[in-house]
Amino acid sequence: MNMTEKIKLSILVISLLLLAGCNKNIEHPDWVINEVMVNNKTNFIDDFGERHAWIEIYNNTARTQNLTGAFLTNDPNNPKKYPIPQGDVKTIVKPHQHVVFWADNMPSKGTFHLNFKLDPDKENYIALYELDGKTLLDKITIPAGIPADKTYGYEADGIESDQAGNYLGKVLDRVTPGSNNMVIGENPKIVSLKKNDPWGVMITITSMLVVFLGLIVLYFVFKFTGRIAKRLTRLNAIRSGKLSAYKTHEISGEVLAAISAAIYEMDQDVHDKESTILTIDEVKRTYSPWSSKIYNMRQLPK
Amino acid sequence: MNILLSLSDNLTTFWEYSGFANSTIGHITMIVIGLFFIFLAVKYEYEPLLLIPIGFGILIGNIPFNEAANLQIGIYEEGSVLNILYQGVVQGWYPPLIFLGIGAMTDFTALISNPKLILIGAAAQFGIFGAYFIALQMGFEPNQAGAIGIIGGADGPTAIFITSKLAPNLLGAVAISAYSYMALVPVIQPPFMRLLTNDKERVIRMKTPRAVSQTEKIIFPIVGLLLTTFLVPSGLPLLGMLFFGNMLKESGVTRRLAETARGPLIDIVTILLGVTVGASTQATTFLKFQSLQIFGIGAISFVIATCAGILFVKFLNLFLKRDNKINPLIGNSGVSAVPDSARISQQIGVGYDPNNYLLMHAMGPNVAGVIGSAVAAGILLGFLY
Repeated sequence: MNMTEKIKLSILVISLLLLAGCNKNIEHPDWVINEVMVNNKTNFIDDFGERHAWIEIYNNTARTQNLTGAFLTNDPNNPKKYPIPQGDVKTIVKPHQHVVFWADNMPSKGTFHLNFKLDPDKENYIALYELDGKTLLDKITIPAGIPADKTYGYEADGIESDQAGNYLGKVLDRVTPGSNNMVIGENPKIVSLKKNDPWGVMITITSMLVVFLGLIVLYFVFKFTGRIAKRLTRLNAIRSGKLSAYKTHEISGEVLAAISAAIYEMDQDVHDKESTILTIDEVKRTYSPWSSKIYNMRQLPK
Repeated sequence: MNILLSLSDNLTTFWEYSGFANSTIGHITMIVIGLFFIFLAVKYEYEPLLLIPIGFGILIGNIPFNEAANLQIGIYEEGSVLNILYQGVVQGWYPPLIFLGIGAMTDFTALISNPKLILIGAAAQFGIFGAYFIALQMGFEPNQAGAIGIIGGADGPTAIFITSKLAPNLLGAVAISAYSYMALVPVIQPPFMRLLTNDKERVIRMKTPRAVSQTEKIIFPIVGLLLTTFLVPSGLPLLGMLFFGNMLKESGVTRRLAETARGPLIDIVTILLGVTVGASTQATTFLKFQSLQIFGIGAISFVIATCAGILFVKFLNLFLKRDNKINPLIGNSGVSAVPDSARISQQIGVGYDPNNYLLMHAMGPNVAGVIGSAVAAGILLGFLY
């Protein structure tokens, strides 16, 4: 296998690795209709002291987003049913935070009161559209017959489907308007580590494996590129007819340094008397070009 | 009489606000520690660029004042000038900027010309996980143990970055510990380097590194970034800036940017980082038994990292040809205290063979250690955050 074939093979392997890792099932909509209560009998009360159906929208990103100008609807044929008004700072939603809209058909009560109601006896379609009224941001269909004071949504905020693409919408065990659907008391990773790896042995082995793997890959890449670089240099030397000169580079850098110094001295007219002879005297103490660096270093503290 | 009473009241109030009235034994202890740091930097030149800002920061942070008065002067009082500057530490802005400068000033030639030295940088990361293990046994939570363990990477910016994410309450202790031991590398490492090597090994002469082309130097930051961050994306802020800085240096067409990154920028950030980390050791918050424990674990982690690097070189030598052996005295350089630990390799090496120059060889594992500790930090972040 020649060098070109090796390069092609390496590119192919890397491309396959990258493609193998691509997961097409992962979808992360920016906004998620996260939790919906259709029949509110004894539950959450709005700022007017009344109970109505409500819709919680979740900012599913790590950036602050503004809902202003977007549209909420319960009618597939009328995507622009409720335009979320401009000028209300509460429509600016921080990363991974929630906002609750009341489906009470009383838009005169303020920004968060919609111009439609939800029907507990029927299936309810709810959708959120982009400013253009055409681009769908998210939608959810609430099945008919959800019990009173129960909500329908996603157990983990913003996660609508699993890795296999299965839809995760369900009647939730807890009602959490405006806050996380899943209440996490402790970091599950920490809990799991404390339980399964109390000595830290597994995490040490895994981590060192990954560190070594990463640096071994770098080692192979640069060993490989180093070989290519050497060959290219040699090829260039052959092409320019200076292969013999190139070969001397391989013998010793110190000899080259001495020759360079001698040529420099000759060029500066400080060479010895014979005008066509370059004399290189070997000094008794071995010299290295690195020796000069020693004077720049701080001395070892005593 | 009333005038005298009023004057007395005023003087009493003034006294209550003075440092003398509010000082505690903790403040005095920390001020003495700050003065000791400054002494070490001035007298022995132990990492003066770190110890002077940190030492003086300790003095600033431990001037006693009436904390109940909400004067907005302390580093932990929201809205104070020191608190605003401290946000760069807490939020993790400074460490990636420091890494940008490190990238722009680091020459990876030694590493590229002899890539097997990269592996020494990986071995030295045992210091991190050794410290993690010890911290767990001492009763720290896994996330706290991860933050303490990273001290073993001998990489101040990484330690600060990881601690600000995993255990912000330990930030002062971890940062001070990491930087103190980095400064004390010339004291900590040599005894273990001598202990773990014999006379024959100490005089091994390594092959002269081959010349590295400009193209290889340009490829290095690109490939380095892509490989390491695809593997550990959580290391992106540090690795991204490190390799970006190196790209500025090696591209040859962004000289001004590279000079700014390795000059004024890193100097400014070092000043802000050093003084705020120092000031964060305010006695009322910092002086706890826990801080002493962290200091103890930090020292052990440096020892583990040093020993792991040296022993790994000896292990590698078992498989290398006679004329291609590695001098184990460069094993200590796997910790990422650049270039201090490489300098120690050189100084110890010339002590045994005055014509054996290990510096350029030791720089290989030294910069690999920077990459290795950033990768290890990314892994810890992935597991524990």
